[in-house]
Amino acid sequence: MRILIVDDDPLAGEMTLAVLEEAGHSCRLAEHGLEALERLTEDATFELVVSDLHMPLLDGLELFQELRERGLERPFVLLTGDDPTPLLEREPGLRACLAKDASLEQRLPELLDRL
Amino acid sequence: MPASPQDSFQERKRRLRISFIEQLPDRLRQARELLAALTTSERQDEPLSQLHLIFHTLKGSGASFGFDAINASAKEAEQTLREVLDGDRRLSPHLLADLRRHVQTLEELKLSVDSAMAADSQPRFTLPAQRADEAGSNQRLIYLCDDDPILARDLSDQLGCFGYEVEPYASLEALRLAALKRLPAAIIMDIMFPEGRDAGPAAVAELNARLDTRIPCLFISMRDDFQARLRAVKAGGHAYCRKPVKAVELAELLDQLTSRGTPDPYHILIVDDDPDVGQFYAMVLESAGMVTRVANEPERVPAILEEFDADLVLMDLYMPHCSGPELARVLRQIPGYLGLPIIYVSSETDARRQFKALEVGADGFLTKPIEPERLVTEVHLRAERMRTLRSLMIRDSLTGLFNHNTILQLLKVAMASCQRSGRLLCLAMIDVDHFKAVNDTHGHPTGDQVLMALGRTLRLRLRESDIVGRYGGEEFAVIMTGLDADQAKSIMDSLRESFAAVTFIADGTEFHCTFSGGLAAFPEYSDPSALIEAADAALYRAKRAGRNRILIAHSNSRQ
Repeated sequence: MRILIVDDDPLAGEMTLAVLEEAGHSCRLAEHGLEALERLTEDATFELVVSDLHMPLLDGLELFQELRERGLERPFVLLTGDDPTPLLEREPGLRACLAKDASLEQRLPELLDRL
Repeated sequence: MPASPQDSFQERKRRLRISFIEQLPDRLRQARELLAALTTSERQDEPLSQLHLIFHTLKGSGASFGFDAINASAKEAEQTLREVLDGDRRLSPHLLADLRRHVQTLEELKLSVDSAMAADSQPRFTLPAQRADEAGSNQRLIYLCDDDPILARDLSDQLGCFGYEVEPYASLEALRLAALKRLPAAIIMDIMFPEGRDAGPAAVAELNARLDTRIPCLFISMRDDFQARLRAVKAGGHAYCRKPVKAVELAELLDQLTSRGTPDPYHILIVDDDPDVGQFYAMVLESAGMVTRVANEPERVPAILEEFDADLVLMDLYMPHCSGPELARVLRQIPGYLGLPIIYVSSETDARRQFKALEVGADGFLTKPIEPERLVTEVHLRAERMRTLRSLMIRDSLTGLFNHNTILQLLKVAMASCQRSGRLLCLAMIDVDHFKAVNDTHGHPTGDQVLMALGRTLRLRLRESDIVGRYGGEEFAVIMTGLDADQAKSIMDSLRESFAAVTFIADGTEFHCTFSGGLAAFPEYSDPSALIEAADAALYRAKRAGRNRILIAHSNSRQ
């Protein structure tokens, strides 16, 4: 799968990248929501967005809403350092919301296998 | 970018972790500067948001990279700042001091990539927590079905003494309902029921088909004909015991059936003065499922071995200041490491020099350059054999408990460790009452059964951290840490009552056994021989006072 990863923390982004490439996906990194918006608008080949929630300028949730407003319907997975449950309740359109911790290494590829 | 896609996932992760550790001081410096500029007089949303973001990122990447230590402080600081930003809390000198304290805690953390990498090999998240819990609680749940309700209850009670949670059922229907509701770890099943001569196996087969599973099953029966045994096997029976059934035997079988745990991964300590080489071996061995620790300085090896229970040491032959053979000799002179397997890795091909290096007590030689596959095979093979040998060396063959010498050694180690950490420790010496009479009346095989039963009771009912050994003939030793003498006594008393309730059967007659025990506590007795002597004396008093009791040794009440 071709995936766009959005994370303002380059190390965390690299980590997500490593996890997903290990699972055999092809990935690109965007450093913030605006860059992601731009790339997703221009490049239709991305099949999935995996984004951090907390970012300056445009956060993950705003990015998701902006994408939907522009009619871009790609599955969207949100990563957060906090408890993911309330976010999913607030925004049921999200494909999934995963906690950013050591379990991510396993749960993210598992989730993508099911997509 | 710190890692390139050509590397293995583990290698990329390792490099990212290194980058994270390298960048941490910078991030914390930023946090400190922002903090220093904050004043309590007015709201400053901009620096506050920046500060919040720093802690937020630390929390997130700390968690993703497996540095759990970072998490607590970063999380608290992040939470505090969130509340200030939301206007729920005011910036106070107290709050600023708190934040500075969090930064300081983070600055003082000593993060190491090695330990984070090592922690990876214990996959804490492989199972969703809930399923793990269920598996844990079901592990010892056994259903027993026999149409004789008295036998079913008696046998259940006896097995309960071996640490199993056994539910007796007198009818096949009751068992069926129970199994559909909650799956047991194993079923013990009679063959003959009012429903038919082979109704037991038939019921198990039907249950397995309906649940699409294969519940481990033991059959018990009066019948000894081939037909009954065949039925049992066809129904997936793992064992067949003729009545009257010995509870010890059943418990041994249940042990085999219910212990599904994968064996501990091998622990390998790698000693190499070149960090890259050490890391390379570590990566190769870890990708084969082993747990590794890397030491770049030989002088750190003894300290590492104290907390890292190595199965094998992989050692560079030529290191500055301290060569491999010198380090091997140092280790061989430390009690407890005489049997530790040591393998040299070197480009030395001269057989005579290789031999000289082996002479000081190493177990093998691997010649560089070494293929990853060969490294894994060689290390695995030796670690496996050494573990088996070591277990033969340190364990008593009858009970599987630690033998006399090992328990003495372990007592010394445990006491030294408690001395350092200020923890309590208790030693219990246990002796089976009237054991000679058991042997004389029922014969040695029966006596052995009693010892096995006691060994099992101790092993299964005590905590993982407790150390149990067969001290001699019918005497056992138990080392318990973190408990005072009264707590230890109440545990030993409950074990004593359980053991007294076990029914032994020999030549058609039933009998019971009891044990007496003496307890002594550290630091009241501060050296191993005094502790053993005191526990022995208390045991002797317990025997004289009428047996089947536990007494505590006190230095002021010595007799």
